[in-house]
Amino acid sequence: MNGKFYTPDGFNDTLPEICAFKKETENKLRQLFLHHGYREIETPGFEYLDVYSKPGFVAEEQLYKMTDMKGRLLAARYDGTVPAARYAAGIKDFDPALLPLRLCYIENMYRFGGAGGGKQNEFTQAGVELMGASGSNADAEVIALSITTALEAGIEELQVSIGQVKLFDGIAKQLGLDEATCSKIKEAINAKDSVTIEKTADSLGLTKENKELLLMIPDATGTYDIIESFEKKVTDETALEALKNLREILDVLDEYDYLKYVSVDAGLLGSVDYYTGMIFKGYTYEVGFPIISGGRYDGSVGVFGREMECVGFSLSITLSITALMRQGLELEAPSVDVIIGYAEGCRSAAVKLAQQLREDGENVILDVSGKNAEELDEYADRAGICAAMYVEEEA
Amino acid sequence: MLTIALSKGRLAEQAIELLENAGYDCTAAKDKSRKLILEDEKVGLRFIMAKPSDVPTYVEYGAADLGVVGKDTLLEEGRQLYEVADLGFGRCRMCVAGPVELMNGKLDLIPNKRIASKYPNITRAYFEGVKKESVEIIKLHGSIELAPLIGLADCIVDIVESGRTLKENGLDVIETVADISARVVVNRVSMKMKADEIRPMIDRIKEQVAKL
Repeated sequence: MNGKFYTPDGFNDTLPEICAFKKETENKLRQLFLHHGYREIETPGFEYLDVYSKPGFVAEEQLYKMTDMKGRLLAARYDGTVPAARYAAGIKDFDPALLPLRLCYIENMYRFGGAGGGKQNEFTQAGVELMGASGSNADAEVIALSITTALEAGIEELQVSIGQVKLFDGIAKQLGLDEATCSKIKEAINAKDSVTIEKTADSLGLTKENKELLLMIPDATGTYDIIESFEKKVTDETALEALKNLREILDVLDEYDYLKYVSVDAGLLGSVDYYTGMIFKGYTYEVGFPIISGGRYDGSVGVFGREMECVGFSLSITLSITALMRQGLELEAPSVDVIIGYAEGCRSAAVKLAQQLREDGENVILDVSGKNAEELDEYADRAGICAAMYVEEEA
Repeated sequence: MLTIALSKGRLAEQAIELLENAGYDCTAAKDKSRKLILEDEKVGLRFIMAKPSDVPTYVEYGAADLGVVGKDTLLEEGRQLYEVADLGFGRCRMCVAGPVELMNGKLDLIPNKRIASKYPNITRAYFEGVKKESVEIIKLHGSIELAPLIGLADCIVDIVESGRTLKENGLDVIETVADISARVVVNRVSMKMKADEIRPMIDRIKEQVAKL
């Protein structure tokens, strides 16, 4: 039997030393979300496939699919946002006066070829959704909380890039680009592929000025300076609104003293037409994928039948721990403080002693294999247990 | 320290020459030994010599910060990367080629064609996405020209430089799928976390390309 069974592709055991650290991190983040007024929900491990496939937010081939007993198609939990949106749209005693709604989750997600966990098909995300609030203050709250979350998880080297999808939409309108050209340029911007952008601009016969404006997008990163340089060239209302939004977000983040972690990246557009406003990603050293992903997706609740703005983020706990370990963090399995053995007829006293010590907060093992005092010492040495106690007298 | 993944062979040599001209000391990379990792701590560069089709993978995972690789490989692998510069060398075309009898629209008349290629993803994307037809793709690893000659496939999708191999075997280019050249790709996280090193490098590379 030994070695005959494997875990499926993309799935791993979480070993004791990592597991202890991971659970501790999850608890810290749970407390953090609670301190910000977010309430945790657990959504089912499986949704009806329609919940994910109808809104078109998710590529269907990335979903783990199965059927229920009636043959209806189910999909394993792919993310936290879509189930939260489905839940929010269906709340029975919904009171609009109580908006915005603050929800959070810490759950395992399942994706084929998912980048969320660094190519793991199962990974743990912690995230929040702020629903029923529009505007820069809500946007900034979520970005600030994502930074606090990463710091709380132990990530010190953090870079967060913030983009605004409406900035590109506005510029496209200003330049009079049609839909097909838009999606082609969007794709190129996402790949920072200035060659394609330039070629496309030339084929459209854009003026030199307009071409420059398009070419500014993929490379523009900075803070207020970037916003200013776009403000000089942009005339479209939508684009100007987007710039104002970014400026206000930076103002709030400055109040949190978080400006050092963020930069504006005009080329961050997101690969799907899911985001409706600002969008952000968080990065650290030693992992090739973003650890934080977030943004505003105002249509996400509406598709389930209740119009509500929505902004949120998720942090991959799995990826964060991988990063921390590669950055040099050494993890240890939880220690055992005491092992208690006992002579024949002394079990009752040993049990009482163990209970007492556990109440005092010690990690205590009660020997079950009848070791004598000497064997107990040897075992404790070998297993790295700090102390061995041998009970020889009935209390 | 920047880690650069190079496609073993001619492309690597040209990339190294370009980097040298851009002012980077690449002595380490010119080591003619069979070492796969060539590092120069003083210059802050580490080169890894990889199989071309693996370069996008190294860069996507962040094992390398940037890489030099042909557009053909990028199209085939479809990885999430930043594609920041066209180096201009390694130029060729990705083509549909076949017996000369199939030119001038004759190829389109064959239903359920069988197409041999080293590039199944590019082939599928082109025929399903652009030409809107279902095809049977036969994956081969080399000497693709053989397939239509021996009756394994109706036509092929492959890179064409001069077209001489095709001509000598009674084949010709029927359609062009894409123009190919060497590209610089960058990992999405490195672009942010190592911007101070990577951005100047891209700028200097682009300056060199503009001179060519």
